Amino acid sequence: MTDYGIPTLKEEIDRETVEQVLALDVDKYKYGFESDIESDVAPVGLTEDTVRMISAKKDEPQWMLDWRLEAFRRWQTMEEPNWAKVHYPKIDFQAISYYSAPKSFKGPKSLDEVDPELLATYAKLGIPLKEQAILAGVEGAAESVGTPFGANVAVDAVFDSVSVVTTFREELAKQGIIFCSISEAVREHPELVQQYLGTVVPVTDNYYATLNSAVFTDGSFVYIPKGVRCPMELSTYFRINEKKTGQFERTLIIADDDSYVSYLEGCTAPMRDEHQLHAAVVELVALDNAEIKYSTVQNWYPGDKNGKGGIYNFVTKRGDCRGVNSHISWTQVETGSAITWKYPSCILRGDGSRGEFYSIAISNGYQQVDSGTKMIHLGKNTSSRIISKGIAAGFSDNTYRGQVSAHAKAKNARNFTQCDSLLIGDKCGAHTVPYIESRNGTAVFEHEATTSKISDDQMFYCQARGLSEEEAVALIVNGFVRDVLQHLPMEFMVETQKLISISLEGSVG
Amino acid sequence: MVRPNFPVRLGAAEEALINQLKFAGADQAAERITVAGLPTRRVESYHYTDLKTLLRAVPPMAQPANQVDVPALDLPGSYNLTIVNGVASQQGTAPAGVTVGTVRGGVLTTRDDTLIHINNGLVREAMSLDIAPGVDQIIQIARRIEGVAAHVADALKIFVADGATATIVETFTGSDAAHVGNHATYLALGKDAVVTHVTVDLSGRDTSHFATNEYHLADGAKLRTLIIHAGSDLARTHLYPRMAGQGAHADVTGLNLVSEGQHADITMETNHAVPNTSSQPLFKSITRGRSKAVVQGKLVVARDAQKTDAKFMHQGLMLSDDAEILSKPELEIYADDVVCGHGSTCGKLDEDSLFYLLSRGIPKAEAETMLVRGFIAELVDPIENEALAEALNGIIDTWLLAGK
Repeated sequence: MTDYGIPTLKEEIDRETVEQVLALDVDKYKYGFESDIESDVAPVGLTEDTVRMISAKKDEPQWMLDWRLEAFRRWQTMEEPNWAKVHYPKIDFQAISYYSAPKSFKGPKSLDEVDPELLATYAKLGIPLKEQAILAGVEGAAESVGTPFGANVAVDAVFDSVSVVTTFREELAKQGIIFCSISEAVREHPELVQQYLGTVVPVTDNYYATLNSAVFTDGSFVYIPKGVRCPMELSTYFRINEKKTGQFERTLIIADDDSYVSYLEGCTAPMRDEHQLHAAVVELVALDNAEIKYSTVQNWYPGDKNGKGGIYNFVTKRGDCRGVNSHISWTQVETGSAITWKYPSCILRGDGSRGEFYSIAISNGYQQVDSGTKMIHLGKNTSSRIISKGIAAGFSDNTYRGQVSAHAKAKNARNFTQCDSLLIGDKCGAHTVPYIESRNGTAVFEHEATTSKISDDQMFYCQARGLSEEEAVALIVNGFVRDVLQHLPMEFMVETQKLISISLEGSVG
Repeated sequence: MVRPNFPVRLGAAEEALINQLKFAGADQAAERITVAGLPTRRVESYHYTDLKTLLRAVPPMAQPANQVDVPALDLPGSYNLTIVNGVASQQGTAPAGVTVGTVRGGVLTTRDDTLIHINNGLVREAMSLDIAPGVDQIIQIARRIEGVAAHVADALKIFVADGATATIVETFTGSDAAHVGNHATYLALGKDAVVTHVTVDLSGRDTSHFATNEYHLADGAKLRTLIIHAGSDLARTHLYPRMAGQGAHADVTGLNLVSEGQHADITMETNHAVPNTSSQPLFKSITRGRSKAVVQGKLVVARDAQKTDAKFMHQGLMLSDDAEILSKPELEIYADDVVCGHGSTCGKLDEDSLFYLLSRGIPKAEAETMLVRGFIAELVDPIENEALAEALNGIIDTWLLAGK
């Protein structure tokens, strides 16, 4: 730079080159932009004061603060787990900021009051937040149709540490459905939150869940009353924007007797050289005859092609089929994150309850995935089904880790598990680690796993019909994961198919 | 090795082991137990066999026993060797092509495993067997722990020469006392060698039986194993087959037979190290009463072990409602052009098959026995030597009848 702040010729060229290279990368991860939004960021570091500060920012009642502090004290005595097949430098939990909110954010408000810059961010991500316009059928308002978040979806938008807006609340409230951010729920529906929070994932469940319990900032809260079938898909969209922050969100979904809800979750983050931590806790409670369908398309920034940057995604997701004949179904498409450590599980407590897990986990570059599920059969006549498809390309490692267990009282428990892995290239790894524990003579468990590569015959067949190598791989992979895709809501299917081709781009050869 | 940040509280069994190891001059192994203790469920390969809980006491090291009659399987014409309280002896002259000798020290490759460290630390001298081509007798090694409760660590190293064929049978028995047996077998197969290796635990119920078998397969070698647990209340066999030469193939099989109060564990880690190898591990568990059967099987395929073909299978059969069958099949795959898979099932006897037999006038007990025999047949049938197959079926029948 010259003394007058004008860039020299050399600097100009460098900048251009850098931008061009960056542009190439952005092509692959299209959500990698950063929004220029002034934020209110807490100083880095984690002490009891941080916990108190978050609680105060959220205007929380005393019981919530006490709950957080208890979690924080427990967390300090715990050790980071190291059993997963993922490797990363030790995380410095004191180098992260635990709260970041857009400066314009002054608590929940109506759509018209939301910072236009924020709305623009979501528009760019294809998330429809213009409910009035959509409801009125204004042309162009539903521009995001065809993206995962189509027109008829209520969205809770979480930006860094806060929920900035929740759409369609009034519509839903007419049926008695509560859909709001968890911070609001703590204030407005404390009885529900107190009754259910931490009952599925106990405060001290694991290292990251305990950390989350202490410092969680926002997330969604859903309550579906008895006998109500939620008329639209509910969803949360998580966006990390600020640097050097961690995102710790908490979601709690309660489906009362005979109700139904389908819930979608999406997430993205800007591209940065540093790693960012995302440690969420999701709790689902299904009471008698209730059904919860939870779908995730996880697309956090995976890091660049040299493995630099990316999100560490350490998530605890668990559903409790508490009532008789209740039903929880997890569907996940995992394509992002530098490291994924995630095991959406079902506790099949109610007699006759059902748990399902459908997963596609794709890893490329230097991504590491250690994901799977747990099906804990406690009640009689419970059944579960696991379909997991792992695809490893590049230098990545992709592990399925799952547990199926039937307790002594779980008469006639039934499980079917199928996990298949596909390897693309010879620098990646695919691993399967299932724990199958039957403590009951009437339980019937079947587990099957295979690993293979795309056969030359299949490739030849496709290429002979004029498909390029990459197109052929994408087509075959789409066929490989079809069992899982079928269980995704319509809007997600389209997006997922696109994601699969993005994730695998450059993996051939 | 998992090093906890806090000092481990050592129990009586650990204290005894530390003293025995120090006395034997195995300071490293002693140090290891001092630091980490016996493996708990936090150590992956002991996830379902928590030795810290299961092994409460370790008796003093065994003293050499007086001449005893060592039971062995009734296999006509077999050449029998014995290892009693860790002391090897040879009966009669070895058949042509078999050389019996000794090697100094332990035989197992050092790995991150406490039982291996103990065995290598305590064994001063191992029995060795060299088998040349042309030997058609079964070679039987009967290991026994005699006298009052004792801790025995013994080891056997077998080399089967290029092109040789061998059938090797090992039995484990003992007097009725709370023995702890820590047995090691290292078996190397030369090029194109064909080996059947059968081990049967028939120790008394109070005995804790631990065995570690390591196999090294050169080009084109073919191995078949059958590990049977039908004795001790606590039995664990850890298998490490290594497919080190192209064209090697291993049928690693095993059977856990457990009754009320028993715990049996077969853990396998197969390493496909080079291209074009195959393995077909097949394990079965049958549980009766309140008992526990464990099968863990890991297939590791190295980066350049292309064209590996490996299928792991475990089938559990529960004859009672309150038994546990715990299974952890694992795949760890780094090569892309492979066909690998695993399966694990468990359940009770098929009601339809039972009904079919009952409706044809077969009494229930007999019908059940027929079905169980059918379930096991897959393991014993491939054993070509008829006398051996018959002897093994006899052991299985004895177990089945004991439950009636």
